[in-house]
Amino acid sequence: MRALRILTEEVVNEATVVNEFEQTLLRIFILVIMFGLGAGLTPKDFSLAIRRPWGLAIGWLTQFGIMPLTTYLLIVGVLLPFSNGSDVMLIALGALIMGSVPAGTTSNLFTYFSKGNVALSVTMTINSTLWAFIMTPAALLIYSRLLGIDESLQIEFGELAIVIVGLIIPVALGMLVRKFSSNIGALLELFGSVVGLLFIPFLIAIWVPRNWELLLTTQWPTYVIAIGMGLVGITVAYYISKLLRLHPMNARTIALETGINNGPLAIAVIVAVYIDNPGVDKILLVPALYSLFIVIISSLVTLVFRRANLAAEQKIPNLL
Amino acid sequence: MTNNPWLANYPSDVPKQLPPVAFANLPELLRNSASQYQKQTAFTQVMPNGMNGSLTYAAVDQMSDLFAAYLREELGLAAGDRVAVQIPNCLSFPIVAFGIFKAGCVLVNTNPLYTANEMIHQFSDSGAKTLVIIDMFADRLPTVLANTSIENVVTVKISEFFPTVVGGVIRGVQKFWSKTLPKIEVKHTKFSATLKLGKAKYSADKVSAYTTGVKLESLAALQYTGGTTGVSKGAMLSHGNLVANTLQMIAHCGSGMRAGKETVLTALPLYHVFAFTVNLLGFYYNGARNILIPTPRPPSNLRRAFDNYKITWLSGVNTLFNALLNERWFQDAPPKYLHASAAGGMALQASVANRWRELTGTPIVEGYGLTESSPVLTFNLLTGLAKDGTVGIPVPSTELKCVDANGKEVPVGEPGEIIARGPQIMLGYWQRPDETAKTLQDGWLHTGDVAFMDSDGYFTIVDRTHDMILVNGFNVYPNEIEEQVAAVPGVLEVGVIGVPDERTGERVQAYIKATVPAPSEDDVIAYCRTNLAAYKIPQEIFFVDDLPKSPIGKILRRALRDEATASKSAKFDASKGA
Repeated sequence: MRALRILTEEVVNEATVVNEFEQTLLRIFILVIMFGLGAGLTPKDFSLAIRRPWGLAIGWLTQFGIMPLTTYLLIVGVLLPFSNGSDVMLIALGALIMGSVPAGTTSNLFTYFSKGNVALSVTMTINSTLWAFIMTPAALLIYSRLLGIDESLQIEFGELAIVIVGLIIPVALGMLVRKFSSNIGALLELFGSVVGLLFIPFLIAIWVPRNWELLLTTQWPTYVIAIGMGLVGITVAYYISKLLRLHPMNARTIALETGINNGPLAIAVIVAVYIDNPGVDKILLVPALYSLFIVIISSLVTLVFRRANLAAEQKIPNLL
Repeated sequence: MTNNPWLANYPSDVPKQLPPVAFANLPELLRNSASQYQKQTAFTQVMPNGMNGSLTYAAVDQMSDLFAAYLREELGLAAGDRVAVQIPNCLSFPIVAFGIFKAGCVLVNTNPLYTANEMIHQFSDSGAKTLVIIDMFADRLPTVLANTSIENVVTVKISEFFPTVVGGVIRGVQKFWSKTLPKIEVKHTKFSATLKLGKAKYSADKVSAYTTGVKLESLAALQYTGGTTGVSKGAMLSHGNLVANTLQMIAHCGSGMRAGKETVLTALPLYHVFAFTVNLLGFYYNGARNILIPTPRPPSNLRRAFDNYKITWLSGVNTLFNALLNERWFQDAPPKYLHASAAGGMALQASVANRWRELTGTPIVEGYGLTESSPVLTFNLLTGLAKDGTVGIPVPSTELKCVDANGKEVPVGEPGEIIARGPQIMLGYWQRPDETAKTLQDGWLHTGDVAFMDSDGYFTIVDRTHDMILVNGFNVYPNEIEEQVAAVPGVLEVGVIGVPDERTGERVQAYIKATVPAPSEDDVIAYCRTNLAAYKIPQEIFFVDDLPKSPIGKILRRALRDEATASKSAKFDASKGA
């Protein structure tokens, strides 16, 4: 079995994962980022996201409707016809799992940088993660059956609970700090965003050196799927939201929330279920590649969104 | 003498006349508030990301004493010397301004965004020898200093008086991220150092001696104005003008402004006379907490202030209220504690006023005034009859009349030029006796604004005399047209002017800034047809990216006219049509 080193929040097995130190650092990064995002929010922001549930509903639909469908279409349209080798179905299975899991905290960060609605983003992440208990296995069941591989899996509720708790606690703490002192809140928010900026190159820096072999040996259809699902997901969700006349801020949020899935969660689920499967490295291939490319894609999309936001901003005269 | 019909409409909590002013000068008024509200927060400066710093009344009082001592003892300034101040809304502003008053010197408020040429004109004209400037704009100083009599420069940080760490972070961001701190190439003293220097030479006796000769009729400030009539000139506002207008404004609000209890959001720049008198002096006198916003551009900069503070009062201009109403976060969560809002500086459009009331559920009243009148002349009533579309009735101890070209008062309901009399009317224009004589006649200020008064004494501004358009001999008032065009869905802002026309003398042109998608030219015309007489309907409509505006957001029709006459300007021509 060729060594596959992947980036994951969960320990896969000692030889193949990022080391303990990087692991801890990543966790701290995410904690600091979520803490900072929380410090930029008030309870009012959340009550608004819930009071106007359209965004949430549309996000749910794109998350569990568009993403798995996109993945399936890419599998049928690109991966299957243009790949050779017997392990293509294993790659397809990994892709389907990647496409069916909910969003993670990375989407919250990119929403923040894109001047989106962070409260909506966090609410959507919690919502889709809760729903994942049913929806991820359901989507997987439907599309794997269509592919004729008939896979079913159960997500441990514990996996999801970790995601949710890891999200709610730092965000709530951040909000609390801001309520207590808007100055400390603003400092935390700034610090969190600086860490967030570092987080992106850090992810790439620990991913690429370990997996460059993988980048060289992977066939192009797999690239298309690993890059395409995020890109198409973001684009389609954005235009659906625009079509439904959502506020641009919310459209950006839903786009990122849809396109950015929880890579580490997908990897953890696969490892938990298929660790004894000799083809586990093939199943992990798309999630591993996706985890790298989604960071790059999201960074580019964020630049585009920021420019759009700047253009749409109200210009008022020199009132300095 | 008119019978002043508005007097009958003052509610019971508004006096018809101000009682005799109990303060010898502005510093006395300021010290009175400081001793009354000592430990309360006087000012909180809020940055767009929510970082903030605050000062109590006692701190402002003490530090402005120190700054006064610096000006007099260290710089050796004398009473009556002009000190130019060029800083945005920040915690240093009240200390600097009050310090200048306490030193018996004269404040020259200056727009921080001025170009070097504008600075040179204003500083030379006022003869200021001392300049207090925000460090962010100090790069213009070498040019400016070479061409003016400025000898002393004091530089102010935007983060002055912030908690150390927060201030340091702001400083770091300015230095390394936004790169907004130019190298200062002239000799200067940091503001924090001036307070130390002042402290070394401070004594309470000395400071109170600075103003012994300063009376109500002494000059307090030169407030430059006249951008609309050509060269900028300094309106001489006395201590008495500013004290009186502060008290008039407070009295006029009646119980609508609660002493010691308000939190006012100051998004308008304090160097502008409206925010200076109403927000800085008025609310300081009244014991309010003043939330200072360094820059409300973009309007989302105000979000954290609304989120984090219980704003009860807001003063602004039409542009600001309109901008807030168009912000999603503001629509979603209108300020819960808002009590009232006051609009001035330019006409408050009915559509904006109505949306404001609908969304916030609080009153918004429009007032009227000029730099030359410190500035408040009239306001609608918060606790009495408010008439929309009017600028209300004169504030206590103020008289207004509408007169014809011969200076004769016109009948009720007929338009005429407003002339005004009261304790807030300026002393004159600085070193411009001819202009002064034209504007101040027999104690009446000739405003150049056309208005009519109704039988209850409420005034409705029709327009500036020189903005009036003459179509086939009919008077067309741009305000009226703008009001209609602004009501067309998709129109964000509009400026209407007259341009020479061979056939009709002048024709009406409208410049529109619209949303995307923009309304079509036909939409606008169709709407105007149902609401305006034929001769008032714009003959030409231009869709533009932006309209030229004054620092407080007043659309500059003069600039539009200049653009229109400067042949077929590419900017406007290219964007013609919908």
